[in-house]
Amino acid sequence: MGLATQTEGAVTIAIARDPALVRTARLVAAAVARRADRPDTVIEAARLAVGEACAVMIGVDEPVETAAADDRIEISLRAEMSRFVVTVRGRIAPADPSFEDIDLDPWTLLEGISDELTIESQDGVSTVRMTWPA
Amino acid sequence: MDLSLETRQEGDRTLIEVGGEIDVYTAPKLRECISSLVDDGQSKLVIDLEQVEFMDSTGLGVLVGGLKRVRTVEGTLELVCTQERLLKIFRITGLSKVFLIHGSQSEALTAQ
Repeated sequence: MGLATQTEGAVTIAIARDPALVRTARLVAAAVARRADRPDTVIEAARLAVGEACAVMIGVDEPVETAAADDRIEISLRAEMSRFVVTVRGRIAPADPSFEDIDLDPWTLLEGISDELTIESQDGVSTVRMTWPA
Repeated sequence: MDLSLETRQEGDRTLIEVGGEIDVYTAPKLRECISSLVDDGQSKLVIDLEQVEFMDSTGLGVLVGGLKRVRTVEGTLELVCTQERLLKIFRITGLSKVFLIHGSQSEALTAQ
């Protein structure tokens, strides 16, 4: 049994565009969902969603050392009374060329694992917001 | 957990047993493994995902890239996976129709 969080406070972390740091972000997402006493399905979905969103933003070919120091990915996790909200904000890398031939949209997986998904882009930065019911 | 890869020959097939997490950080290691095997002339690959604890689209991309690669040498790349958390990812992306996914190593290694 876990003690649920007493408030709807958000946890926000920011990571450099370094693939090595994405696992840490996933672990934080799972921990926040678990601490908020969400079901295992939401915990798992949040973990996958953060990992996937970061992976799409970091991409497969962009060298880590070329990213500017302030070019980070920001992850916000919020356990509200009726839902769990994950927001990931950052610059999106070019799509994985492996999927070109099969015409797979980079957001397909996130769409499939989220209850609701919205993507907004402005000035080269995208904000991906995913929610799940409590 | 990092990524573990163990390969061995099973008849005319090369089995790659993957453990840990396949993500944007570890996926290049799997890509390199597949690429090396194909360069060495191994073109009938079976990738066992039963010990994989996490996989995102980067991992899927490596598998798709590997499949394309073996097909250039008329080879095959098949998977072993019964984990619902991973099968779900293949289904959502439509890749369950692209890959032949077996329920066990023995099934994969004896398939024609």
